[in-house]
Amino acid sequence: MSTRIPPLVESYLALPPSSLVLITSVLGASSNWLVLRFLHHALLKQGEDAQNETKVLLMSFIRNLAFWRENSRRLGLDLDKLIASKKFAFVDGLSGLFSPNQAPTTRSGEILLRDSELSYVSGELQQSIRSLSEGGGKVIMIIDQLDLLLAAGGDQVSVEGVCDKLLELRELVHATVMTVSADQPLVEVRQTPLETNHSAFLLGLAHQADLAMSLRLLDSGTARDVSGVVRITAGGQAAESGKSLERDLLYFVGGDGVVRVFERGQ
Amino acid sequence: MSFRKRSVVVSQPGIIAAVSKDEKVAVPGVRPSPLDGRATISTGTRSLDGLLAGHAGLALGTSLLIEESGTTDFGGVLLRYYAAEGVVQGHHIHCLGVSEAWARELPGVAAAGGKSSRSEEKKPVDDKMKIAWRYERLGEFGVGAARERGAPHTSNSSGSATPIFCHDFDLSKRLTLPSTAQLHFTATQTGSILDSSDDPTNSPFTKFISQLSTILSSSPNYIHRVIIPTILSPALYPCNSSQPAILLQFLHGLRALLRKYPSQLTAMITLPLTLHPRNTGLTRWMELLSDGVLELAPFPSTAISAKTAPGASAMHEEPPQGMLQVHRLPIFHEKGGGGGEASGFGDDLAFALSRRKGLVIKPFSLPPVEGDAEAQGGRPDSASAKATKFDIEY
Repeated sequence: MSTRIPPLVESYLALPPSSLVLITSVLGASSNWLVLRFLHHALLKQGEDAQNETKVLLMSFIRNLAFWRENSRRLGLDLDKLIASKKFAFVDGLSGLFSPNQAPTTRSGEILLRDSELSYVSGELQQSIRSLSEGGGKVIMIIDQLDLLLAAGGDQVSVEGVCDKLLELRELVHATVMTVSADQPLVEVRQTPLETNHSAFLLGLAHQADLAMSLRLLDSGTARDVSGVVRITAGGQAAESGKSLERDLLYFVGGDGVVRVFERGQ
Repeated sequence: MSFRKRSVVVSQPGIIAAVSKDEKVAVPGVRPSPLDGRATISTGTRSLDGLLAGHAGLALGTSLLIEESGTTDFGGVLLRYYAAEGVVQGHHIHCLGVSEAWARELPGVAAAGGKSSRSEEKKPVDDKMKIAWRYERLGEFGVGAARERGAPHTSNSSGSATPIFCHDFDLSKRLTLPSTAQLHFTATQTGSILDSSDDPTNSPFTKFISQLSTILSSSPNYIHRVIIPTILSPALYPCNSSQPAILLQFLHGLRALLRKYPSQLTAMITLPLTLHPRNTGLTRWMELLSDGVLELAPFPSTAISAKTAPGASAMHEEPPQGMLQVHRLPIFHEKGGGGGEASGFGDDLAFALSRRKGLVIKPFSLPPVEGDAEAQGGRPDSASAKATKFDIEY
């Protein structure tokens, strides 16, 4: 089982209490494989006693449960079973957020967001965190592409509002993993409100984070056996306390979903 | 059709499950991906099908964003092929922003396509003998493409059992729309231009999304193709449509529908890059919300005629009319993306549009240097002039 997680990354998947891990991705170098490794690491290594059990709340704004279900099955995780045993909950921010005529949710542990209003979103999240943490155990919150809510939410969603709600939610959980896009046009240009909001949000997160993992494409073009580069650095929070960390690793995602992570020249 | 009938006869009368499974396979224009067996449909352009990360078609439940710089409309041609293939296969077509007149200009099915494709199949083998070893990599791409090309035809020649996956179209012909064709058109102008610009909440997209979702939920056995030509073009869309809240909510809603009906729906969108350059946040969000992103960069028209002469005379093939860049491929990049194998991701790709072959995408290679052609004992001027004329003619 441990071979499914690349050894070089494994040490970073452990989440210390009240930590924030920021994963940034760009077009062509998606963060999904890394999120799946976090899921795998948290859910598969279960302790015997219920108090130390790890539970995961996954909220995804541009991918639905079918995607996560299919890809985590390759890693040996059965999300449906985990939902049934209340170790995993999914908040769907894709299917109902901006499209009409959606049937209401039928199952517990799988929540469909139907509005982009911020207090509603955080209310749903709080509720599912509470229902997950019933019976002890620590809850890990993974939010996939919260930046979409900021970009598409319009006037009802502001950077300050999102950051405030995020802090409130982080108080309720053991640790948080966030994935955010960090494409150059979204971060560097800063001309339209869309771009300024995005870069403000991302910078704010980077300062709060304990660990930042940024994925990008290979700078020197494409190669057959390299999908991209993952740069692992201490976030703003950890840097203040004097810890320093900086690694640049290459990764390769095979067609079968197997991921290799290796140093340059290895 | 005959395939279905035979299986009904052979299978025992009691087995209902098997029959219903067969019916699913028999949806016209759908074939399983050779990689993982998921259902794919053809984009109507063979070389584009071959480009999509080894799936040999556009996987159902995914979308393609085709960006194009300059004033040409190669992306629009790709959309027309995509629509024409859909009409021929009996799929539902949903167009946003254009009227019925657009559908009257779809390319018609080429007559006697079998002969030309058979001669094409032989060609790569000949080519391989001639090319130097250092072009082996480019050759591989060609072989892969030839396999794509070959597969439907060989099965076709063995009997009419398997239907054609991707038809040959002729740009000079017009497709006669059958009376059963399911074409849906939605206008984007929600009222008079002056009215809509005042009301920021008046989205030109909401009607389209709600219509699409009702049609999808009411007809579960059909394949649907969504076509959105030149999204955000001021000629078709009111000015409030490029507000992030309105546009991204629409694309997010479309993505939700694609994921909700993963065996029924695909979408293709073209975006004029000159109006919305790639270094803006809005364009990047549009790309992030699409499954596949291709960028067409046509050469300036003067460059075409200058390059025609050596290119066409030396290799007997279309000179490239522009470069194609792959920024993202459906499914492939969602998983994390592998290397460049079989995907063309990061390769230098060029495209050429011709009347019969449609849009052909192939690895870009520079034509021989002018001096070389002269050293080979230059050709008479009339030959090159002819080639130029033919190319401009389409």
